[in-house]
Amino acid sequence: MTAWEDLLGTALVGTGRRPFTLAGCGVAGADRVTAGSPEAAVLAAAALAAGYRRAGWTPPTWRGTPRQPADRDERPECSPVAAQILELLLGRSIRLEAGTDLLTTGWLTAARASGRRPPYRLLPELLRFGTTATGARRLVKQVIGPRGTWLAGHQPAWSWAATVPRAEVAGRFATGTRAERLALLSDLRETEPDRARELVEDTWAAEPAATRAAFLDVLRTGLSDADEPLLERALDDRAGTVRAAAAALLEHLPGSARAHRMAGRARRLHTAAGTFELPGEPDEAARRDGIGGHREPGRGRAASRLIQILAATPLSTWDTSEISHADADVVLGWTKAAVRQGDQEWLTALARHEPTPDLIAALTPDIATDLLSGARKLDTRFGALLAAAPGPWPARFSTELVGRLRDAKAEAVLRLAARALAEHLHPAALAAVENWLLALGTGSAPAARTLRGIAHALTIRATILQEFP
Amino acid sequence: MGSRWTVARVLALAPDAGSAKAARALANPRTWSDLGSTSSLVWGKCQGSARSPYQVTVDLTEPSFRCTCPSRKFPCKHGLALLLMWVAGDGSVTAGAAPAEWATPAAPRTEPARPDPEAQARRLAERESLMSAGLGDFELWLHDLVRQGLATARRQPAGFWDTAAARLVDAQLPGLADRVRAVAADLHARADWAPHLLGELGGWYLAIRAWRRRAELDEAAVGDLRAVLGWPRRRDEIGDRVADRWWVVGLSQEEDDRLLSQRTWLHGERTGETVVLLDFAAAGQALKVAHVLGSVVDGEVARYPGAGPRRALLTGDEHQVMAGSGLPHATGVPDALAQAARWLAGNPWLRRIPLALAGMTVVPGEPPLLVDSGGAALTLAPGTDVWQLLALSGGHPVAVFGEWIDERLHPLSVQVGDRLVAL
Repeated sequence: MTAWEDLLGTALVGTGRRPFTLAGCGVAGADRVTAGSPEAAVLAAAALAAGYRRAGWTPPTWRGTPRQPADRDERPECSPVAAQILELLLGRSIRLEAGTDLLTTGWLTAARASGRRPPYRLLPELLRFGTTATGARRLVKQVIGPRGTWLAGHQPAWSWAATVPRAEVAGRFATGTRAERLALLSDLRETEPDRARELVEDTWAAEPAATRAAFLDVLRTGLSDADEPLLERALDDRAGTVRAAAAALLEHLPGSARAHRMAGRARRLHTAAGTFELPGEPDEAARRDGIGGHREPGRGRAASRLIQILAATPLSTWDTSEISHADADVVLGWTKAAVRQGDQEWLTALARHEPTPDLIAALTPDIATDLLSGARKLDTRFGALLAAAPGPWPARFSTELVGRLRDAKAEAVLRLAARALAEHLHPAALAAVENWLLALGTGSAPAARTLRGIAHALTIRATILQEFP
Repeated sequence: MGSRWTVARVLALAPDAGSAKAARALANPRTWSDLGSTSSLVWGKCQGSARSPYQVTVDLTEPSFRCTCPSRKFPCKHGLALLLMWVAGDGSVTAGAAPAEWATPAAPRTEPARPDPEAQARRLAERESLMSAGLGDFELWLHDLVRQGLATARRQPAGFWDTAAARLVDAQLPGLADRVRAVAADLHARADWAPHLLGELGGWYLAIRAWRRRAELDEAAVGDLRAVLGWPRRRDEIGDRVADRWWVVGLSQEEDDRLLSQRTWLHGERTGETVVLLDFAAAGQALKVAHVLGSVVDGEVARYPGAGPRRALLTGDEHQVMAGSGLPHATGVPDALAQAARWLAGNPWLRRIPLALAGMTVVPGEPPLLVDSGGAALTLAPGTDVWQLLALSGGHPVAVFGEWIDERLHPLSVQVGDRLVAL
């Protein structure tokens, strides 16, 4: 027993139960100290021994293997002002009624476009942000760079942002949990879509139906004609969920054999007068292609089948001039086809015929805003379209829009599209927003609050854009 | 009065910690009226529990306090609160007004206007005898504790420790009171509570015995003793000055109750000496002096009496400030601990030991560690943001500056490239 352990033992039970003297207690120097009682002796010995222990403390030796350091990030760091804004956004010191996240997303988008990185010290906060804001994960992952993905590898909650070394992908895909395998596949689809599909094909036959369907859903990222053979085979799958998932993906590939078969069915329904006959009960081949089960809300069975066939037919089969005299079912089918095929010509033509939020959302910002600037009535319908419009909006459109909304006192539109206005208005419209705010009388408190929020967002977005030239 | 008034200087005039706390609570212009000041006089009326407001006047030249309240404490909380508001300089105390008739120092009741060496010596003797009596009581309390055993002490309710701390405060020993409260908090938070408690008891006992022999101690030892007891130095007692290029290597801020305190660690390029500046501000107010981490200040500091690392003040007004390039004095863990041992040999009560460490790898885990190239591992204090440390280092060895407290490292800054980044 060492002198210290002996002393500690005495102190724990108390000198009332165990005697103690400095003489012979084994603490160096204790013989030069006087103590008038056992208590004083313990305290004096503690003073001496604690001094030795503190001064003589030696650190333990760590015998682990340190992880490989992070790869170099070649991007320059963003400006101090930009870093400060991000810090305030992530720390919720800047708040926005329409959602602070839209500003954070704006910051990340601007950083990605300019090729600058956030300061390293903000990486943990960014990863925490992406952990809760799942919609922004892809963007966060693109901005955090090699240091961020390296850091994410240390914390299981951040595994969504970690990169798996190329050599380990196959092994992890073979042994991981279902969620891990899906995350792995989704990541690989971004960079090497063919390799990801090959991984799926390797184990395809042995996977349960739910996993096969989930794998197909992941293939939506980076989908191309190269995926068609797998999808075409999946149309013969035992499980209905897998067949439906395959059919849904093939709708996005207008060059596929299924699209070709659908075009044949659609042409057969096309009359000389330019109208469409309603299809009868689907035959076996049509059922294989996924026609039948689905019912459009408010439409009959036959009409639903027609919409389904048109939605899956390549739009190159038709001419946009037919839109003006097509009936509602046909327009709906073409609208679905245009959105799925991402056909800007058809999207534009259909939106000119009758704009819907779906169409507006699928257009490029320039065309969408061009269409919206022609709107005559600033009613709630317009508000819904505006809310769906993609950004960024051009300066002239933005300024004129705010002016028109103000002149029309269109507070309902303001309410419906507040988030889109905060997110997409060009900063040049800030003065117009502020003027509107000044002109508002009392009694418009909700409108004033919304406008203040929009002005706040525009100010911060303007600063962000300025800091990322 | 040559030197500038600060919050810390006002609070140093408080007779005990309770008065200081009460004064900070009272330093709110809403309960005051007729506030004003000249270069030598500050006055105001404070609505207290009595019907008519107390009339409070402070003559800054002495300083002498005058207040119509019935408190036996001197100075009373009203006088201290008045000075705190005046020091804050937020405009609540009008400057340059003519003093009201009641405020003119025609006949200060409690204190003579001129310094009186006899009265000062008497006050000093009173304070010392109060402290001696308090330390005597504390010694008996320690004896009881050791007789009954640490295991029994651990089972005591929080009130057991609070009462002891309160009696230390009454005996003007607030420094010891803080340590007693800190140990009470550690008893159930630390696995090694028993050796930790025994070591602390030894330190307190050492302070009691050192106090009795204070006449034989040198100035530095008395300085360290006063610091552990909580008897602060006045500014005019500060000792020797030393000029150097001072690198600002670490900042740490703490907010307790109502006081914001900041420690600024400086490393002298020429002397190799480490000193620490202490600044205080009332809660909700910004610190007057904010030194920029990583900068280099060319100037003179005045050091308080004590062993190293010493508390100091930056003196003079004009300092040339330049950008530094990280931690100039970082070493491996063994050398840093050897320096810590030398400091402990000079001051056995030293709690916060500055460590400047080179080539440290961050190892996240439970608990997270900093490991040097030889594998020597220091445990990071609970509450350390290890992810930020890891993000800043990227897995590469980095230089880290921190405070070593009870075998835990509280990192304050880390060198990234040639810049210091605060944690």
